[in-house]
Amino acid sequence: MARKVLITLWMGTTQDRKEGNKKMTALRRKFRTSLLRPALMSTAAIAMLVGLSAPTLAGGTLRIAMTASDIPLPNGQTDQGAEGMRFMGYTVFDALVGYDLSSPDKPVTLIPGLATEWSVDPADTTKWTFKLRPGVKFHDGSDFNAEAVVWNLAKILDKDAPQYDERQAAQGRGRIPSIATYKVVDDMTVEITTKAPEALIPYQMAWIVMSSPAQWEKVGKNWDEFLKAPSGTGPFKVESYVPRERAVLVPNTEYWDKDRISTLDKLVLMPVADPSARVAALRSGQVDWIEAPPSDSIESLRGAGFEITSNVYPHVWPWHFSLLEGSPWTDIRVRKAANLAIDRAGMKELLGGMMVEAKGMVPPTSNWFGNPEFEVKYDPEAAKALLAEAGVSSEKPISVKAIISPSGGGQMEPMLMNELIQQNLAEVGINVEFDVRDWNALLANWRAGAKDPGTAGATVTNSSYFSQDPFTALIRHVDSTLIPPNGTNWGYYSDPEMDALIDQVRNEFDPEKQVKVIQTMHEKFVDEALFLFVAHDVAPRAMTSKVKGFVHPQNWFADLTSVTVE
Amino acid sequence: MPVYILKRVAYAVPVALAVSMICFLLVHLAPGDPLSLVLPADANQTTIDATKAKYGLDQPLPAQYFLWLTNVVSGDFGTSIATGRPVVSEIANALTYSLLLALIASVLGLVVGTLLGTVAGYWNGTAIDKIASAVAISGVSLPHYWLGIVLVVIFSVNLNWLPAMGAGESWSAERLKFMVLPAITLAAMPAGIITRSVRALVADTLGKEFVTALEARGLTQTQIFLHVVKNAAPTAIAVIGVQLGYLMAGSILVETVFSWPGTGLLLNTAILQRDIPLLQGTILVLALIFVALNLLVDIVQPMFDPRMKRG
Amino acid sequence: MSADTLASGNAMPLRASRGYWSGVWLRLRRDPVSMACLTVLVLIILASAFAPLIAPGDPSVGSVARRLRPVGTPGYILGTDELGRDMLTRLLFGGRMSLTMGILPVALALLIGGTLGTIAGFVGGLTNAIIMRAADILFAFPSVLLAVAIAGALGAGFVNSLVALTVVLIPPLIRVSESATTQVRSLDFVEAARASGAGAFTIIRVHILGNIMGPVLVYASSLLSVAIIMAAGLSFIGLGARPPTPEWGLMLNTLRNSIYSQPLIAALPGVMIFIVSLSFNLLSDGLRSAMDVK
Repeated sequence: MARKVLITLWMGTTQDRKEGNKKMTALRRKFRTSLLRPALMSTAAIAMLVGLSAPTLAGGTLRIAMTASDIPLPNGQTDQGAEGMRFMGYTVFDALVGYDLSSPDKPVTLIPGLATEWSVDPADTTKWTFKLRPGVKFHDGSDFNAEAVVWNLAKILDKDAPQYDERQAAQGRGRIPSIATYKVVDDMTVEITTKAPEALIPYQMAWIVMSSPAQWEKVGKNWDEFLKAPSGTGPFKVESYVPRERAVLVPNTEYWDKDRISTLDKLVLMPVADPSARVAALRSGQVDWIEAPPSDSIESLRGAGFEITSNVYPHVWPWHFSLLEGSPWTDIRVRKAANLAIDRAGMKELLGGMMVEAKGMVPPTSNWFGNPEFEVKYDPEAAKALLAEAGVSSEKPISVKAIISPSGGGQMEPMLMNELIQQNLAEVGINVEFDVRDWNALLANWRAGAKDPGTAGATVTNSSYFSQDPFTALIRHVDSTLIPPNGTNWGYYSDPEMDALIDQVRNEFDPEKQVKVIQTMHEKFVDEALFLFVAHDVAPRAMTSKVKGFVHPQNWFADLTSVTVE
Repeated sequence: MPVYILKRVAYAVPVALAVSMICFLLVHLAPGDPLSLVLPADANQTTIDATKAKYGLDQPLPAQYFLWLTNVVSGDFGTSIATGRPVVSEIANALTYSLLLALIASVLGLVVGTLLGTVAGYWNGTAIDKIASAVAISGVSLPHYWLGIVLVVIFSVNLNWLPAMGAGESWSAERLKFMVLPAITLAAMPAGIITRSVRALVADTLGKEFVTALEARGLTQTQIFLHVVKNAAPTAIAVIGVQLGYLMAGSILVETVFSWPGTGLLLNTAILQRDIPLLQGTILVLALIFVALNLLVDIVQPMFDPRMKRG
Repeated sequence: MSADTLASGNAMPLRASRGYWSGVWLRLRRDPVSMACLTVLVLIILASAFAPLIAPGDPSVGSVARRLRPVGTPGYILGTDELGRDMLTRLLFGGRMSLTMGILPVALALLIGGTLGTIAGFVGGLTNAIIMRAADILFAFPSVLLAVAIAGALGAGFVNSLVALTVVLIPPLIRVSESATTQVRSLDFVEAARASGAGAFTIIRVHILGNIMGPVLVYASSLLSVAIIMAAGLSFIGLGARPPTPEWGLMLNTLRNSIYSQPLIAALPGVMIFIVSLSFNLLSDGLRSAMDVK
């Protein structure tokens, strides 16, 4: 009985989505059948008449310039961060748990992917069961089943498995830290156990995508060879892949979700790390879509008739404070003052409107936001008063050093934003010196913690955080058991009250009650001003007006199957 | 002649070795533990141990160098931190692009430079000379990365004539379109340099006694001109050969501006990502190509110059 | 970067009288192009040096409200940059860094390379062989590549790129001063001084330096333009100055994103690099012909 209830609760979000989406899906299907099919047929007929041999799907070719400097590896658990997952991970492959990316208007929820349902054993909350979707085939024609799931988990968790791949393990291991064992129950059922109760397993499993074991066997049990002929279950297949230059994907017309079969002829991915080169490529018609156009280009792109899309998503761009002894941030008045000193509206203007002003770790619209007492806003006078209380003034300023990066995934425009923060803080009596490091170097220090000698006197690190689930959004930054080297509590925050809340979240399998705990936790974040809350990214992208059907969801990921190019 | 060639080759070998030594030392020049510089941050113990053994990191420097050189000679330049691919395959791929671009830019620089230089030198002191010289010195003084940006704005974005970035899809005539702007950008400086060299050379040769003697013998202007060209050829070959090397190695800024997938862009990526093995490998290969080109020039040059052949 | 300036380095005139320098100056003064360039350079250098006194604003203080104002805005003659900082101020302050990063490596390389080259030329033998072979090895690298290699390995920063540029410029200066010294050394008056019992130091100071100074200086002056472009280039790819430090190459890079909205402003740092580099080139040419150095 309890178990049954639980399933429906987890599936609750799914049902919502289905209801909300039925209309859209139906519309889309109708559109396809009524308009596209005849259109398709007539194009095909014309093509045949004029003697063109290649049959086209008439959806056009979509060329995307990514911010990465290389094509994400088409091995499955791809690299290049969330962008890699967006364009290679979730296009060519699927995870057991999917995201509902169909609406721009509501927060993204989890939906069934390669698993149709999942549940936890109420008697033993470390035991999870995943029911798999029947009839799914990999691109190479082999069947997707429980064996394949276990094989894929071993690929990244079991060092002794022949298919263990260090590269994929490095990407995937950290996503599923709590998984202890996994086994086949029957052909369509997998059982996973966790080291301790972990209510967030579905969120974690959404990161783990499935590569084809049969294909790996066929190419000689070699992951480097697999890259030349990748195979997943996703809505796109890899036609060609040239490292550092391009990947050409084509629709998987046999895709299991008939509503998500792309009509594109081709999807071309290009790595163009340089922002100006991306803009030039878009403007000269070399690509149809660019990721993260620089803020200074947005207005002129709009003026030139390009579409700029953006949407809020679970992401925060903060300053992460060190709370070690000797850090000025140990004084809550200083932390609050800094939060009151930042002109976020000015920053928004600086970014061409491409941000949401932060009032906490999650956007104010998030249902995790709660009802904190401390209001994060721009009030330099209040900031000065707080600092005066703490014995700081423009005659007796504090000096802090902040580790920042010149670029990086999700970092938005770090130099521009940090220079503005530097100016704002100087106005209230906090002098900031920057320690500019490469993005990877910053992340390495972020993992090493504020006590690491490599921190070199800095009391701030500026890493932006994806906050899709409660663990990545909140827990990992403040859990006292995750103080380095055990985890990524960079600032050495430790508070028994917070730890108790974290425990509650992990053991609360009722989503509604869980949300309540998360809200309390978030209120504590804001009331204690644990971070300098600055901005939430809105993932701007620019595309030509020929690109149709794109929905910009409230997420880092996006569904490319609905897109066509005129 | 064969003795001469052997001598040049024999001299190039220690230079190449010294170049490799400097590239080897780059890893030790970089701040931080060499091991952490050649491995990704989350490398596991097995990989760490294997790398330690492979490069002999606990042994003295000379022994490390020898190990490293053995690897390099057998084609193992290490593994890129960022991509996990062998450095050698990354370079091989990019090298074709850079070589092609440098070649086209050299030819462009040579043609423009020789024309301008000859004209300027032949009509030494006239208005034509002044204009040609002004163009040449501008070419030498222009920050070419800036020129590239300006060309993109004009020809790709505003006029929409040529692609702004990348190298196109495949090796076909289509790719030439992608090369126009980078090649012009890259050729600006050598064109200026060659103009200046050729101008000085032509003017100088025209003032030489043998030209007066030729005139005295009653040769026509055309014949004298050809004579001058013949005399200037060896120097021109040297300049071109060296330029090709410089362009191969110096295209980092231009390739970055145009996202041209050559060794320059690779270097830039390696720097941004602090991918030291990739940085080291790319620099080594480019420097060795430069040494080889210099050697080639040394060997080819005398063939065009009877005086040097005798000596 | 520039092969004719870096790769060839043979220059050998032989003049040493006091009147020589005043003669050079006289000839230089008669050349309008050189004088124009000299004036431009002196003005830019002075303006940069006294930037804190003459600049209209603060190079690091901006306001989002007035970002990317066009050239000619009242109060901001050259407009404002992407953070609303006054461009004129930034360009003046940027000149300090850019000119320092261009001129200082040449000066350092002149000092180090000149000394080593003179010693190699004067002492000869094994010393000469060691110094010259070492220079040959560095010479075997294309200059940009060597600079990028060193700066790339050391990491970004002012000092690191200064070191990189200096190392790149030393070998050609060794070559030039060595070949000039070798030629002077075997001349009669040096032999005579040696025979009259003058010490090595005196001979170098009085006879050698006096005679090689001209060609070596002309050569070094021709490196200034290359060094300016290369230094800005290092900053452009993120290896030189770091934000918020104003530096022309870096400004060029950060303003690239604004090239469609404010092309003129985005072009300004490049124009400055061009003007300075062109002036140095023309002045070096003028100096060469004034000294009659081939």
